[in-house]
Amino acid sequence: MTEAAPTTASSGRRRWPKRATLLVQYLLLQPFIIVLCLVVLRVPPPEPPSRYLLTDFSVQENGVGQTVTLPHFTDSRYTMNDPPLYSGRFTWSGSESKEAWSVMLPRFTNGVEVAVNGVVILDSRRNPAANRPDRNTPEIAVIPASLLREGANELSIRLFVWGPIKGFLDRLYVGPDAELRPSYNARTLLFVTLPVVFSAWQAILAVILGIMWVMRRHEPAYGVLAAAMAIGVAQAFLQTPLQDSAYSRLNSVLISAAALESALVLTFALLFFGLKWPRYGWLIFAPALAVMAAGMVGDATLNRDAFLWVGAPTVGLCVIALTVVAAHSVWRRQDAASIMLGCALSVLLTCWALDLLSVLQLVPNRRILLARLSYSAMLVAIGAALTWRFARALNQVDGFAASMVTLVREAEDKLKASFVREEERARAAALARERTRLMRDLHDGLGGQLVSIVALSERGNAGAGISEAARAALKDLRLVIDSMDDIGGDLMLALGSWRERTTAQLRPHDITLVWRAVGPQGLPVHPELRPWHVIQIIRLLDEAVTNAVKHAGARRITVSIETLTDAQADAKVDAKGVARGRITIEDDGKGFELAPNGEAAAAGQHAARGLRNMRSRATRCGAELELTSDAGGTRVRLTLPRRFPDSDAAAG
Amino acid sequence: MSVLSDQGPSQPISILLVEDDAPTLWRLQDALAKAGFHVTSAATLAEGRASLAQAGPRVLLTDLQLPDGHGNELIRETRLRYPDTEIMVISILGDEESVISAITVGATGYLLKDAFPTDIAATVRELVAGHSPISASIARFIVRRTQSTAEPPPGPPLNTAKLTPREIDILWGIAKGFSYAEIAGHLGLSRQTVPGHIKNIYRKLEVHTRGEAVFEALQQGLIRL
Repeated sequence: MTEAAPTTASSGRRRWPKRATLLVQYLLLQPFIIVLCLVVLRVPPPEPPSRYLLTDFSVQENGVGQTVTLPHFTDSRYTMNDPPLYSGRFTWSGSESKEAWSVMLPRFTNGVEVAVNGVVILDSRRNPAANRPDRNTPEIAVIPASLLREGANELSIRLFVWGPIKGFLDRLYVGPDAELRPSYNARTLLFVTLPVVFSAWQAILAVILGIMWVMRRHEPAYGVLAAAMAIGVAQAFLQTPLQDSAYSRLNSVLISAAALESALVLTFALLFFGLKWPRYGWLIFAPALAVMAAGMVGDATLNRDAFLWVGAPTVGLCVIALTVVAAHSVWRRQDAASIMLGCALSVLLTCWALDLLSVLQLVPNRRILLARLSYSAMLVAIGAALTWRFARALNQVDGFAASMVTLVREAEDKLKASFVREEERARAAALARERTRLMRDLHDGLGGQLVSIVALSERGNAGAGISEAARAALKDLRLVIDSMDDIGGDLMLALGSWRERTTAQLRPHDITLVWRAVGPQGLPVHPELRPWHVIQIIRLLDEAVTNAVKHAGARRITVSIETLTDAQADAKVDAKGVARGRITIEDDGKGFELAPNGEAAAAGQHAARGLRNMRSRATRCGAELELTSDAGGTRVRLTLPRRFPDSDAAAG
Repeated sequence: MSVLSDQGPSQPISILLVEDDAPTLWRLQDALAKAGFHVTSAATLAEGRASLAQAGPRVLLTDLQLPDGHGNELIRETRLRYPDTEIMVISILGDEESVISAITVGATGYLLKDAFPTDIAATVRELVAGHSPISASIARFIVRRTQSTAEPPPGPPLNTAKLTPREIDILWGIAKGFSYAEIAGHLGLSRQTVPGHIKNIYRKLEVHTRGEAVFEALQQGLIRL
């Protein structure tokens, strides 16, 4: 880490100009977006043909009458009693009587009651969507034909205002329904249906993000955004009647939703971009809570004031903070998500600023409020981007899994290859070991015998000696070849050949070989038995037979083969019950005297060396050798090990 | 058998001995002649064939590595022309590589080149009496072939499919050094039937014709069409 740190820093320095360029580009892009927004927003919403326009009204307000030209703003009343009454006239000619006529109000705040010739045909307060000042809900009403009079007709409109902003009545239209309806429908689509669609989408995202947060608790950003979405959805869909309801207070609480939601989105942005949470960060929730408290305890006036003077600025503050966070994130991360969020925020900020100017009447306007709409669109975009990111992460996981599979396969192949190499190496090593062993065995037996053949033939008249030596050499050669054969750990198979060779060897000496194998199995099978064990045991037995023939003058040699079991000799049997084989060679010769150390003392040099060889061979195979000899004969008892040793340790 | 015993004393048993190493030839010839056999000797494959053309011997003893060819050719020809002739291979080591290949063309046993003269005569006499000798190492090789393994084991091809479980048991006994009597005891047989079984084993291991050889090679997967 300590080594890596400077590298990162230097690379950071090197990337500095690139970062700065990007930030500058980003910052230059924002005014462009704002200008683009302004241009787009200058496009007026759809309106019916202007010949049906009705703008001249006389208004009766607070007992004072005056003539106005719509659009017209009026102060909030905070009461439903005595609303401003707008009165105007329109002309209807009977020739057009076949068509239905309508009154269309493109925009008003907050509610209207429309009467034609003194008969009320529309009360927008029955329409919850129309009651919301943040929606630009239009209204249209067909004038019953019976109400219409040939010539001048009276049109009176009561404008109910309950804030939180000033009352407003846009210019209205009276004309054939067929002419007015298309623009009404277009406006409904834009300002009523579209927000509902966004809200529905927001609801789905709220569920998706909520589930994501539940499953990934360590990423609270998702939970926060889910909460923001849920609040937005609640604000959009929870609408209660204005009066005469136990839940009407809920409306005032919902007023705080915008502030709460914007604070949550700011929290999300801070968490999502991995910024440090400011020490007094929780304060951004304070205004929302204050507005909520005002809504719960205060009266309607306080509620609306609280929203207007606390809630709305909080939203603006949060949006500005968000743009700062986005710009910072663009600087820090240079990723598409930050840039996209920043641009969306610029749009939102523009709309919010325009709305604010519009509400405060600082610019001439028709009070089309777009902040809420643009905000919903932005949130939906954020949610979609997150889902997209999630899907991409899943793809990466899949790709990772696929590459893991590839890696594992490659590793497996490598392992296989190395295993094959290792096997070949092991085989080569085994072959080399075997060659070494074969050389040693041939040297021990055949070499010596050939040398003695050479020596004997040089001495001339020693035919018998040569014959014996050559025969011994051939016998040894057969033994070596025989020992190479795979006998599957069954020593009996080696003893079978040995019996044949020994019988042939003893026949000219007129010695009888008595073979006593107990049971068809004879000796236990040792899977670990190796050719070199076999050769040592066979040579040991050969030595015993040779001693009996040459030095003891025996007439009869008995070979007994048995497997020791528990009943026969407890001491010789393993605790696990692994049986041990025993081969005993007895002769009826004259025997020899054994020195205290077990070596032959009297039987001459050759026999002594033979006995020493037998002991050494037994030790190398882990077998026990017992020698007993008296005047009645010699007994060589070889007790095989439970397990033959792996390496020829004694041989060095 | 009855024919043999009839002609036994009156007419000496004829042996064709094919061996290219002169001292070995002399040694074997001496041992057999002393035992009363009528020995015809040959030093090459051609000489052996010429001798066969005149008359079929009772016993053929042949070395495998001959100057002008392989002894197996002579064995095969003899087997075809004189089915009653007993055939043995003369081997230095009695190794399965040479002996088994000879068995598959019709030989029934081998004789070691350094065997004692009395043993040589005794083996041939036994052979003529219908007792085909089989050594422990050859029996071991055959029984190990009867154990199915994934890859073909090293050594000459050998089809053991025709052997019965009893015959395989007998081979196991021989491989472990048991005498015929001991084998008969373990397997619950009569001692006299064991040589017959061994003769059968030799016959079953023999590949009789070219077509059969191909068929058996196919069966064993040694060749593929």
